[in-house]
Amino acid sequence: MSFFTLMIKNPFRNRTRATLAIIGIAIGIATIVALGMVTGGLQSSTQSTLKAGSAEITVTKIGSGNFGSSGGILDESLVTDLKNTNGVKDTAGILRVNSNVSTPSGGSGFGSMGGFLVNGIDSSKLALVGIDSVNGTIFTNGSSNEIIIGKTVAQNLNKTVGSTIDIYGTEFEVTGIFESGNFIYDTGAFTSLSTLQNLTNNTGKVSYIQVKVNDNANASQVSKTIQDEHPNDLSATTAVDLANRINQSLGMIDTASWAISLLAIVIGGVGVINTMIMSVFERTREIGVLKAVGWKDRRILGMILGESIILTLVAAVVGIILGIVAVEIIFKFFITSQSFEAVLTMDTLLKAFGVALLVGIVGGLYPAYRASRLAPTEALRYE
Amino acid sequence: MTKENVIEIHNLRKTYDKGKIKALNGIDLEIKKGEFISIMGPSGSGKSTLLNMIGALDRAEEGTIKVAGINLMKTRDLSEFRSQEIGFVFQMHNLVPNLSVLENVEIPMYETRVKSEEMRRRALELLEAVGLKDKADKNPTKLSGGERQRVAIARALVNHPSIILADEPTGALDSKTGDVILNLLKSLHSKEQVTLVMVTHEPYVAEMADRILHVLDGKINNSS
Ligand SMILES: Nc1ncnc2c1ncn2[C@@H]1O[C@H](COP(=O)(O)OP(=O)(O)O)[C@@H](O)[C@H]1O
Ligand SMILES: [Mg+2]
Repeated sequence: MSFFTLMIKNPFRNRTRATLAIIGIAIGIATIVALGMVTGGLQSSTQSTLKAGSAEITVTKIGSGNFGSSGGILDESLVTDLKNTNGVKDTAGILRVNSNVSTPSGGSGFGSMGGFLVNGIDSSKLALVGIDSVNGTIFTNGSSNEIIIGKTVAQNLNKTVGSTIDIYGTEFEVTGIFESGNFIYDTGAFTSLSTLQNLTNNTGKVSYIQVKVNDNANASQVSKTIQDEHPNDLSATTAVDLANRINQSLGMIDTASWAISLLAIVIGGVGVINTMIMSVFERTREIGVLKAVGWKDRRILGMILGESIILTLVAAVVGIILGIVAVEIIFKFFITSQSFEAVLTMDTLLKAFGVALLVGIVGGLYPAYRASRLAPTEALRYE
Repeated sequence: MTKENVIEIHNLRKTYDKGKIKALNGIDLEIKKGEFISIMGPSGSGKSTLLNMIGALDRAEEGTIKVAGINLMKTRDLSEFRSQEIGFVFQMHNLVPNLSVLENVEIPMYETRVKSEEMRRRALELLEAVGLKDKADKNPTKLSGGERQRVAIARALVNHPSIILADEPTGALDSKTGDVILNLLKSLHSKEQVTLVMVTHEPYVAEMADRILHVLDGKINNSS
């Protein structure tokens, strides 16, 4: 039997103790993995909001928030006004209303809180909201009651191209299904601006305006210009600002996940120290024998440290599986809208193994040192 | 034919409890290569301490001790000496539970550069010599006391040491089983030409040796 095999075998000589230690560390690792998967998922959904071709600036009425603006609160004339601002390439006015079509029970999350969001937009401006292709055809402008819906809505309401949806008492025909990659839009629908304005008594009104800047223009600069020209009524946010803000929140989740990792290291480390000290204590005579047959102190240190690391690496594998299963269950039963998916990144996996390795080393070092320094005659006299 | 000394000890002293217990109180001893020595003496007289000194499990405070040409007072790392020159057989078999009989016999070979297939081959060879080849994959807890002690002997011999140190190897066994172990040690001694130093309480056991040493209060009393 090789020395390595011996190291793998030893920790499991006391099954109960090994199992308890593994469960303890695995829970910490599972938490790290679960948080990592959620953060990873949020990150990939925010990254897709910054799609090429879509607008860089969102203009809303002051005080209405970034996403919260709905109803006709801005004058449509501003859409043309803003287009004439220096550095602006194109603008699109969007009217956003709630559909009041509720999704099947059990649904929660972004798209389904008491219905989904219906956006009215000029069909030629869809690229500005990141919709460059649809499965089917896009709606026509004017009075025809056509609508395109996000893939999440299609899934939740079980609609396909050709289905109809009732919005404010009017039948709309689904002509296309889109996937913008932006989870907020994908949980909503788009129709002709004028149709929606007429239907909801919002003639000449929009909720917010998307602004695309010239290729050589600076979005922040243009955003500032818009705000300076309309100091009392408009608030402009660049997609970069927004992404930064989202990233800040993600950063907080990330910090929290590091704090939990640290906690896992400390708790796991103490658990491993305890487990390994017990193990060394119980095997005092055995260690005496190993010394008597000529094992070097270094080999005994290596063996105990190795056993500790093997214990934590097994715990890492168990913890990763546990974390993935937990996230899958939570997303399957509690987040049905599929607004975003949990993503297991290489980073998360490396972190999980890194933390486990660290716990193994930190927790194993002291017991291993103690074992290596045992006096052989004392160890052999030990009862 | 005068054989060379494999063990040379002069005025060796070892104390415990900060000098209060004089476990070895000036030992002078020479043992020739291939000799079979038995050590007798009352409990607490220092027999185990003497064996531990020869096997370099502990260090003395005073005197000189040279074993297999190595000055044990001056050598820093004695693990290599232990692994190459010494085979210990204790009163308690001291086998590692949950490792198989074979794996227990392999343990001393980790410090040598022997590959694991060779380790296996040699361990099986020794187990055959002690008549336990068929129990190689058993857990030691499933063996009788005598069988365990035979495994311990196989373990002591696996690195082909020049000296076997046996500290009351039959002390925990009934006399019939004890005789089997003694005969095994004696036949291995004559076959392998190793030096055998054995502590025992039984005069008839001691009689089997070439020479009997009597230890009293940390000193060697007389020899016959
Ligand atoms: N590690 C130790 N710590 C303290 N005292 C010890 C230790 N080892 C042996 N002694 C003491 O040294 C004396 C000799 O012990 P030992 O060599 O074991 O005797 P024997 O083997 O002849 O029975 C005894 O008084 C014993 O209590
Ligand atoms: Mg003794």
